[in-house]
Amino acid sequence: MFVPHSEIDLKKMFEELSISTLDDLFTHIPETLKLNDGLNVPPSLSELESISDFENLESKNTQNLICFAGGGHYDIYLPQTVKSLTMRPEFMTSYTPYQAEISQGILQVLFEYQSLICDLTDMELANASLYDGATSVAEAISVAINKTKRNNVVISNGFNPNTKEVVNTLVDRNKFSINYVDSVDYLFPEDYVFSQEDAAFVVSYPHYEGSAQDLTSIVHNAKAAGVITICYADPSMLGILKSPGSMGFDIVVAEGQSMGSPLSFGGPTVGWFATRKELARLVPGRIIGESRDSNNTKTYVMTLRAREQDIRREKASSNICTNQTLNAVGSTIHLSWLGPEGLYEIGYQAIQKASYMKQLLTDNNFNVLNHNTSLREFLVETKKPAEEVILEMGSKGFLAGIKYDVNQILVAVTEKRTKGQIDNYVTSLREVNDA
Amino acid sequence: MHSGGNASSLPLVGGAPEPTINQLSKPGRRASRFPKLDVPVTEINNSAIRNDKPSLPEVSEHDLVMHYSRLAHRNFAVDLGFYPLGSCTMKYNPRFADYVAGLNTFANSHPSTPSAFTQGNLEVLHELEKFLIEITGMDNATFQPPAGASGELTGLLIIKKYLEQNNLTNKTDIIVPDSAHGTNPASAKMAGFNVVEVSTDVRGMVNIDDLKDLVNENTAGLMLTNPNTGGLFEENIMEISNIIHKNGGLVYYDGANLNAIVGVCRPGDMGFDIVHSNLHKTFATPHGGGGPGSGPVAVKAFLKEYLPGPIVEKSEKSYEWYMPKLSIGRMHGYHGNFLVALRALVYMKLLGKEGLDTLGSYAVLNARYLSSVISKIIPLAYNEPCMHEFVATVKDLKKSHKIKAYDVGKALLDKGFHSPTIYFPLIIEEALMFEPTETQTVDTLDDLAETLKGIIDELQGEDVSLEEYPKNLPVGRPNELIPAKHLTVNWGDFELLELTE
Repeated sequence: MFVPHSEIDLKKMFEELSISTLDDLFTHIPETLKLNDGLNVPPSLSELESISDFENLESKNTQNLICFAGGGHYDIYLPQTVKSLTMRPEFMTSYTPYQAEISQGILQVLFEYQSLICDLTDMELANASLYDGATSVAEAISVAINKTKRNNVVISNGFNPNTKEVVNTLVDRNKFSINYVDSVDYLFPEDYVFSQEDAAFVVSYPHYEGSAQDLTSIVHNAKAAGVITICYADPSMLGILKSPGSMGFDIVVAEGQSMGSPLSFGGPTVGWFATRKELARLVPGRIIGESRDSNNTKTYVMTLRAREQDIRREKASSNICTNQTLNAVGSTIHLSWLGPEGLYEIGYQAIQKASYMKQLLTDNNFNVLNHNTSLREFLVETKKPAEEVILEMGSKGFLAGIKYDVNQILVAVTEKRTKGQIDNYVTSLREVNDA
Repeated sequence: MHSGGNASSLPLVGGAPEPTINQLSKPGRRASRFPKLDVPVTEINNSAIRNDKPSLPEVSEHDLVMHYSRLAHRNFAVDLGFYPLGSCTMKYNPRFADYVAGLNTFANSHPSTPSAFTQGNLEVLHELEKFLIEITGMDNATFQPPAGASGELTGLLIIKKYLEQNNLTNKTDIIVPDSAHGTNPASAKMAGFNVVEVSTDVRGMVNIDDLKDLVNENTAGLMLTNPNTGGLFEENIMEISNIIHKNGGLVYYDGANLNAIVGVCRPGDMGFDIVHSNLHKTFATPHGGGGPGSGPVAVKAFLKEYLPGPIVEKSEKSYEWYMPKLSIGRMHGYHGNFLVALRALVYMKLLGKEGLDTLGSYAVLNARYLSSVISKIIPLAYNEPCMHEFVATVKDLKKSHKIKAYDVGKALLDKGFHSPTIYFPLIIEEALMFEPTETQTVDTLDDLAETLKGIIDELQGEDVSLEEYPKNLPVGRPNELIPAKHLTVNWGDFELLELTE
């Protein structure tokens, strides 16, 4: 299938090669290694036959759960315009733009992507994408360690636990120590004292539990101790929250799913990475720059290539090669579609709806643990174990949130949720919890 | 020549540069609309709230669509023409996979949805694991790594943890061929190993004598592609893996070149302990202009408990997530690039036994045929039968006529073909590396060879400017040095910055 060779083609090719069967191509491979009976896999299917197979497989997932889960991935409305433009085959089926002359399309979109992220975060230089939010945090820590030559990493404990696991995997803990700092009332302690041994300060903005604070003075204190400050931002809230750059951060990373990618069960999404020019040489991954061609026409190219693995090999700033370009294309088009008003609206409506929901939960005798400091995401206490509550809420048509602790659920609200859905959620949650 | 793969009719018209989306922005224009807020407004007091609107372009939806459609027109792609890009396996990406990847809960499941509600998704990963371990000859797989380089790092971290568990922490060296992809040494370094290079012999294979000299009690393992980056099958692969195993090291298979051997032979039968596959190469998922990929790692049973997780396990009634007991941890925030894995499953199910058994054979047939016709135009780097790709060289033409691989690649762009990979592997001078894949017709292969011949003839002529090509594309040869010196990496950045090493 998808192999175009006709009998006539094969005859011509076999003649050119003086062979008579496909097996004759492999006389140099040791006989003991060859698969004599082929692979033990099911027979080939036509597209027509397999449609029902895949539709049936998809139907094994619970359908139409109304999503109140977040933790970095948000059920934000993805316009058809963004989906269809992103999936244009010229973008989707092209390779990495090493050949600039025939890749100006992708190169310019990525240049725009970098620029949009810089504008939004108040940074000077963004790369052309990393794998996801979690791996971007690990890459940022690596930049900080390389820059400061220090061995300690300070991370706010109010972080997505999976992201912490990725950091624990990718940061060599035989060489570097990671100090997770507990939150106080779901905020990072303003009076935290940084040491001269600290390479990086990493904080989630908003915190994983949904609370947010102006981080300016904490960043100031960290930088005074020579620490590289890293903000893990929620892109869908940057229309309404102060930009990380304005608070003084050195590096901004993000899980970019909410801008341009469907939830996708977590992947493919995109990791945003932006920083200041001083750290340019340490940035992981590809960077697109504006240049000129032989006729002095504006031309986009991959730049600062001497950082990358294909040239620098073991001295590269990172091993990343394949990245998440198509999802970065999605981010670019989605941000452009939203504009300043649209991105503001996403954040504003989410916060207003969450605010309504928190009050409704409180009125129904639920304890919202971070009612006052949370924005679009918050913690609710349950009498029953969170795991049970989430499963039972599923049978009522809701993805109730993410289990945070034995009796605590992390609930997220996006602009897509309606008053009716929120009302029904709270009614259902009361039924489940009281049963 | 009328072949399907020549994109010289492509409307990549020249003319004016496309403005940026920012240059199209006018205050007050917008594409987005949202429903009216349907809950009572409350006052929000939080020190993190900003007082102004973010800086983003303001454009109409039609302007937005026209802009990105015009940019799409300025891009070569597998759907437009032949991409004989060595080491990249730019085969046809079935459209049907787009449909399946767009199905509701496949595309729209939140990653924290409990397994009870995502049995379909878990079954996708389990089914794909079955295909993958059969094709590679391994026992268990993880889909955490989102790309090949992440798969390499995963494999190396598994080796590291395995050695630690067995009190072999003295083993700190990873051996990598001098012809290897740059990701190999970069990944080994990231995992905390020393990189030791083994040389290539005159036939283009791992130099066994050199390997024997390099292997000692500090050897942690070897990273290898087979076929190697020269497109040649490492005939002594069993001896190579035995040398490493005898010294207590592990052998890692870089799946970059797996396409050559699918259905022919298997890494697991050659002594490899860990294998990564590039689903975006071998299993036909679109490359997306540079990503997303997916780099699942498969291992022999004795390494299963080291896999990053969670991985999917099937019980009698259901599929569940399982965290391996000695797991190296997580390589991705959630479940890797799930939708890429799904597309690969679509491809494998369509191909089935008939297609997968012959996949490598047709890939090799196309490459062998192309190498045969191209060898009549420019010499090949090695006098050995190639597998799915081969390396030719213009080093003699460089001496006689100053023709560089770069010039040939640029001229091909102008004639409607993507350039082959040039200057790789690094050990071959003026290398041009061709990988046709199995999905191109013999007519397209002939067309490429004929075009190449025309270019070589033309460039050898009198009074030819070698820098002339390309001349029919939106831009000519870029000055790749400017931005590194005067860093213009966003549209607001007009400050010239001198960077020093």
